[in-house]
Amino acid sequence: MATAKHNPGKKMIGAIALFVASGFFLLALKNMDIQSLIMAFVVPLIFLASSALIPKVFRADSLLLSLVNLLCSLGVLVLYRISPEKGINQAINYGAGVLAMILCMLAIRHLSRFKPLLVIAAGGALVLMALPVVIGREVGGAKAWIALGGLNFQPSELVKVVLVVVNAYLLSKRKVLLSIIFTGICLVFLLLQKDLGTALLYFIVSLLMMYVSTGSFALLGAGFGGAAAAGILGYSWLKSMGFAHIDRRITAWTNPWGNYENEGFQTVQSLLAIVNGGLFGLGLGAGNASKIPVRETDSIFPFIVNEFGIILGICLIILYIIIFIRGIGISSRCNHRFHSLLAMGCSLFIAFQTFVIIGGNINLIPITGVTLPFISYGGTSLLSSLCLIGLLQGIESINEDHIAQDAKMATMGDELP
Amino acid sequence: MKLLKSHIKIIATGMVVLLISLIVFGAYSVLTQGNRWFSSSANTYLREMKTNAIPGNIMDRNGTVLATTDAQGKRLYHQDGSVRNAVVHVLGDRTNNVGYGVESFMSNYLYGFNVSYFQRLAHALKGEKLHGNNLTLSIDSNLSRYVSSIFPTDKKGAVIVMNYRTGEVLSLQSFPTFDPDNITESVKTDPLQPFWNNATRWNSAPGSTFKLITLAASLKNIPGAAVQEYVCTGELPFADSVMRDAGNAIHNKLSLSKAFTLSCNITFGKLAQQMGDAALASTSKDFGIGDYFLFQDFVVENSVYPQKNRTDKEIAWTGVGQSALQLTPLHMCMIASAVANDGVMMEPKLLLKAVSINNEIKAQLVPKQYLHPLSKADADTIADYMNQVVKSGTGTRANVAGHRICGKTGTAEVDSQKENNAWFVGFIDEPQFPYAVCVVVMDAGGGGAVAAPIAGKIFSAITGSPLTAK
Repeated sequence: MATAKHNPGKKMIGAIALFVASGFFLLALKNMDIQSLIMAFVVPLIFLASSALIPKVFRADSLLLSLVNLLCSLGVLVLYRISPEKGINQAINYGAGVLAMILCMLAIRHLSRFKPLLVIAAGGALVLMALPVVIGREVGGAKAWIALGGLNFQPSELVKVVLVVVNAYLLSKRKVLLSIIFTGICLVFLLLQKDLGTALLYFIVSLLMMYVSTGSFALLGAGFGGAAAAGILGYSWLKSMGFAHIDRRITAWTNPWGNYENEGFQTVQSLLAIVNGGLFGLGLGAGNASKIPVRETDSIFPFIVNEFGIILGICLIILYIIIFIRGIGISSRCNHRFHSLLAMGCSLFIAFQTFVIIGGNINLIPITGVTLPFISYGGTSLLSSLCLIGLLQGIESINEDHIAQDAKMATMGDELP
Repeated sequence: MKLLKSHIKIIATGMVVLLISLIVFGAYSVLTQGNRWFSSSANTYLREMKTNAIPGNIMDRNGTVLATTDAQGKRLYHQDGSVRNAVVHVLGDRTNNVGYGVESFMSNYLYGFNVSYFQRLAHALKGEKLHGNNLTLSIDSNLSRYVSSIFPTDKKGAVIVMNYRTGEVLSLQSFPTFDPDNITESVKTDPLQPFWNNATRWNSAPGSTFKLITLAASLKNIPGAAVQEYVCTGELPFADSVMRDAGNAIHNKLSLSKAFTLSCNITFGKLAQQMGDAALASTSKDFGIGDYFLFQDFVVENSVYPQKNRTDKEIAWTGVGQSALQLTPLHMCMIASAVANDGVMMEPKLLLKAVSINNEIKAQLVPKQYLHPLSKADADTIADYMNQVVKSGTGTRANVAGHRICGKTGTAEVDSQKENNAWFVGFIDEPQFPYAVCVVVMDAGGGGAVAAPIAGKIFSAITGSPLTAK
């Protein structure tokens, strides 16, 4: 039987809270303002509330929870360093995200009739995905953003939660074809939005979920083969459709140093931020990565490495690996296909998204505009990542309930004459 | 459910491997290329970071101070202009006009960026500037100044002198050169591009000096190549053209040694055709052509072997060092060094020692084998042939009385130029003078007439013996 509780202990949670608080104190010293001091209390407070209180109410995986919260609060800290305004916004996003996480936990625990809800969610998702194509605005070559009631957001970020849930549900009922169709429609919209990074995420995560459900390597091979063929065939056609920025991104990948002033600028600046930071970093607030484009979203990883060092960068990747492994643990402890597939999808999404963006930052793969889960600036992005964690935690609490029940049954059995 | 769990395991393992690959790839790139990124001209932060540190002195192998910093923090170079000119491409300059000079490429040592974060913090708290290390280079500034004085003044080119046993570079020069203390507008706009380091960052067809590799490949791939008799009719016909020898010479029957000594294109073109592109490409690869050089002390442009699947004509032209072949002078010098060093190619080295202000040794020369392209027997054969070149062949003007000098000339045709590029590679085959030389004079004429005499003067200066030829 899998071990039931992994309590990382109050010490670790305390240490993380102190770390975040001291970061803000340091910034307060640098900026000489009260606002940073307030943040030094508020952010650790959200962290403590989320990491310490939730496990008291639900049977959650508290290690997973504190690691996720660590990443979120580190994100707020770094964003505050980049721009206090963005830091405060992100703190609000973080608070809202924690609430959304709790809602997702409750939803997965207590909703019993999913089908009608999912039909509505799937329909809504498709409408949302269609919106940016019609009324979207273009940011960084992709047309993935819409403005609703004064709020700017990326529907594809919210829809990814729906995608994982709908796919998990369909695949648990072995409706592979329906799942392919749903994913396919989403992908078409993403391609119309010219958001290739997110399309890659959707495609790979759905494909891997389908493999887990069916165990069919043929499906996996067909998926990859089809994607490669579509990529090659569609390349010239897509370019004529206004995808000129792909070409630039490929050059930026193969030869960033040859074009370090234009195409390769972002990659080169990322790599320079990393080597200038060195093993131990230049120190919070003392970094020199001021030129990296989109340092609050796509390039936040090199920015962090610049100030906190390569060692912390490696630690961050290890944290994401631990988060993924905890998620997989939850997935393999489930009693229901739906829960297991859902937990798998959530873990895969976070892990693969991390790979795509950090891989782009260090020039392992071409850079695409996706966010670093939990850390990058952005309300919808943080919200959806925390929703995925909420689903995972909800499933974990169901697992724990089952385990507790089994244990109870066993002891009851012993007591019977 | 059991099946599901086994699938989960497969996918989970794959994803963990993918995430770990981030760490592996990232660490590998930073370890192998981090210093190149750090010191590249793209790194505009470096200048900022340099203001927080006092760079150490740079000395040549005899202790001559080539660069120092005065009390006001101004960087000073050697007082003699001819020395400044001779070492500028190795040293670099104040504003990084020369990419990857010691001043930027070794800034980790020179500015003390190699100290720990805590030491740096302590310095910052005390309000002190960091003190960099004093560097001793393998460069010989006297020899460099001499080389610079005998090179034609109005030509582009490069000269490298290195120790083939240890890889230490004694002189590495690019021409035309310039004075880092006097960078005028005419230097900046000179069409001969004085800032560019031709020794390491310019690659081009090496002409007949490449026959070293064709010869090595023939000895390896064609049984009896060395004892066979060859016939040179003065022509090697192709579908649409004919290959001829320099000066339309006809050599008739000749041995391999003779063909090498006279630099017979027909014989070497045929040899290349006979062994085929794959064999020649494979030996070229053994010598490092196509490698992405990641040397500790130098940034060297990679050398290029032509694309695969080529016609007989192109293969023959590759065999004599033309076609789309591209090699840097430093790499050509390393190839000659491998022949001299019993078939072992050493990594070129520049840094003899880095010493901190507290007299701690932070780095020291450790000779490092780079490749092992030749057997000792083949290396000896090639050295013998090269000795014949200097004694009685195309390279007689490099010969020095009383010493065993080996060499090979090259005359490379370049479409865009009026004259050919003159090449010479060679070495002194004696234990007390383990030095190899590569000379390139661009747009100047034949290797034997233009480059060999320069190499001869260098050999003569090293050994202290007079040239044989006038």
